[in-house]
Amino acid sequence: MNSLYLIEFGHFAAYLALIVAAVQALAPVAGHIWGAPRLSAISLNAAVLVFVLTSLGAITIIYAFVTSDFSVAYVAEHSNLQLPLFYKVAALWGGHEGSLYLWVWVLTFYTLLVVWHGRRHYPRQLPVIVAVQGALVVGFFGLILFLSSPFERLLPAPPDGRDLNPLLQDPGMVFHPPMLYLGYVGFSVPFAFALTALLTRWKSEFWVGHIRRWALVAWGFLTTGILLGGAWAYYELGWGGYWAWDPVENASFMPWLLGTALVHSITVQDRRRMLHAWNIFLVISTFSLSLLGTFLVRSGVLSSVHAFAVDPGRGAYILAFMTIVLSVSFGIFLARGRYQQAEESVTSLLSRESLFVWNNVLFSIACASVLLGTLYPLGLEALTGEKLTVGAPYFNTVMVPIFLVVMLLMAIGPLVPWRKANAVRLRQHLLIPAIVGAIAAALMAAVLGGYWTGPAGVGLAFFAGSALVTDYLRAIRQRRAQLAEPWLRAARKTALGNRRHYGGMVVHFGIVIVALGLVGSGLFRHEASVVMAPGDALPIAGETLRFEGVRTDRRFNYRTVEARFTLLGSGRVITPERRVYPQQGAPMTETGIDSTPLRDVYLVLGEPVEGGRWTVRAYVNPLVQFIWIGGAIMLSGLALSLSGRRREARAKAAVENTAVAAK
Amino acid sequence: MRRFFLLLLFVAIPAFAAQVTEDPHEREMLSIAETLRCTVCQNQSVAESDADLARDMRELIREQLAAGKSRQEIVDYFVSRYGDYVLMKPPYDGPGVLVWLGPVVLVLVLAIPAFVYLRRRLHVPMAPPPVLSAEDVARVREAQRQPPE
Repeated sequence: MNSLYLIEFGHFAAYLALIVAAVQALAPVAGHIWGAPRLSAISLNAAVLVFVLTSLGAITIIYAFVTSDFSVAYVAEHSNLQLPLFYKVAALWGGHEGSLYLWVWVLTFYTLLVVWHGRRHYPRQLPVIVAVQGALVVGFFGLILFLSSPFERLLPAPPDGRDLNPLLQDPGMVFHPPMLYLGYVGFSVPFAFALTALLTRWKSEFWVGHIRRWALVAWGFLTTGILLGGAWAYYELGWGGYWAWDPVENASFMPWLLGTALVHSITVQDRRRMLHAWNIFLVISTFSLSLLGTFLVRSGVLSSVHAFAVDPGRGAYILAFMTIVLSVSFGIFLARGRYQQAEESVTSLLSRESLFVWNNVLFSIACASVLLGTLYPLGLEALTGEKLTVGAPYFNTVMVPIFLVVMLLMAIGPLVPWRKANAVRLRQHLLIPAIVGAIAAALMAAVLGGYWTGPAGVGLAFFAGSALVTDYLRAIRQRRAQLAEPWLRAARKTALGNRRHYGGMVVHFGIVIVALGLVGSGLFRHEASVVMAPGDALPIAGETLRFEGVRTDRRFNYRTVEARFTLLGSGRVITPERRVYPQQGAPMTETGIDSTPLRDVYLVLGEPVEGGRWTVRAYVNPLVQFIWIGGAIMLSGLALSLSGRRREARAKAAVENTAVAAK
Repeated sequence: MRRFFLLLLFVAIPAFAAQVTEDPHEREMLSIAETLRCTVCQNQSVAESDADLARDMRELIREQLAAGKSRQEIVDYFVSRYGDYVLMKPPYDGPGVLVWLGPVVLVLVLAIPAFVYLRRRLHVPMAPPPVLSAEDVARVREAQRQPPE
């Protein structure tokens, strides 16, 4: 009874969702042909229905996981009777089929939000926007239902499942995919807006603010997803690092880079009424890279070009789907892209808008370089059969100089006003930050030495950080000079009075902190690979670790060997483990980490050696915590920026315009 | 008896407080292994991978180091066996050269048009914003008075 039929019900709901999504995509087309706006409006109701149906499908899969219904093939492959409930629910996105389902579920959810938001703010364009998203839903549901269905049955049902990949049994991995997908798919909203703008020749003033906010939301989720992915790699994979320039990581980093360019240049259009076509191009490209990321990770092309060629089903579908989306959207862009011309000219090359153009140049170079390094080996092998590795050393060599220039721009940019900067005043304002940065770089070079990127990175981080702080202090001082407020109140009012700007500055400050973390952990890592017997002590980077011994234990769905280390001095205990998940076989290492803000002591328990000894890998990673702390600062800055009241601002602008016109 | 315990303590302490340090050969081995790709893995270096092949390659590096071979000789040995594919950093010649030239070309391809764009857009005379007619102003006022639908 129960879930045996429920899953079929969910399967049926998914088929219905596909059909209704087709209605959602086609209704405005029909409405346009027959000149019947009420026909177009069906699209909105369809979008709500698609979300409900897709959710029903998702709930039946989750129910099958929770009730351990192994007659569902996807459940049998990714769950197990002993799997903790938390992971049973999250196993929905533990494999290929479910991940795609989550993708489309998120897409229908965003569509629902757009419908809800758009009814008030842009009712005339809404059916077209929703139709674009409907077309995407149809594309993904086609892939899910015909080529990788999570509803497939496995009869007769096995008595127990194969268990979720142990690497995924970690809280970081539970939240990483949903956040990443909320980011990827979030860019589908600006994408739908951009296509709608082109198709309906929608005037820029009416959509630029919406695109900006949706893009910021998507960017925030993508940032969260990437950070969680890094944290997961760091805590779970046990190689001492958090970012390996793996193609899977690059797949998420490319839309992030272009999305970062977008959230900057969209401001130029908002404030200075130029770069319209470029912004639409960026929006389409960013979403295309989100699709590419999904394609790279989900088609199997990364594990082997040959596997992709031999079993073309899913890969070919995604490739065909991407080709259609790209050619249609860029085709529309080429035909209509210049429907709106710049309405203002550049006043000076030293202006905020000009620096934003350079920001876009840098982020585009960064993004295209990652794209090249990721796709070139695939293309080379597919075309010539020759194999090439483009690994982390390549990306570090190429990306570090680019990011150093980005940091330099980040230090100067916020101090440069729109239209035209006063070069003399700018130089005055940058004097103290430049001195702070130079001292930091010199100290760093003299005391710690090392590769040139270390002092350069730290110097620029301090330059950018102190430029932010001095600029904020200057604003507070000006406010106090006018209003004679107490310090704290002036500080609060300054930041909250211009949330959009200061939110961005908080994000920048978070990036400075992350940059320090990257320099510290990237260039000053200590590591040792040793064999230890109980009682042995290992001195490393000013710490001494004593190995106390191991004990075995049996928990939930695994057996474990847990080692115990004491940090002499502080007496803190670190317990790395080796786990065996019987359903999956291979042993897994679970890292043991002792964190302080300034350094992590990171231990991996290796294999036993004769005589009761164990191989141990120990790392001391300076400033890793800065990365997570900086990430949190970035996200809080984003929240501050988004909390600004756009409607009030717009109403104020309208009043001003009227006043100007009435004169 | 007490003396025996004291003796035991003395024997035990050095064993207990034994300091282990990393074998410098092992460090050298790992630093070479970091530049080599585990050819059966997805984007993992020989130093990081748990695969059997990576283990064998680490053992080979150890043996060759013990035999007095230089770093370059060892890397060359693996390149002769597996081709350039084994190098984490693509070589500057052969097909790898394109990935290295790419970013340089990109700088030119993107920076020059950006500069040209900014220069061309500099001080372009723009039509003054259209002045609203009295009728339009009245419509704006009306719209402001009513809350948005």
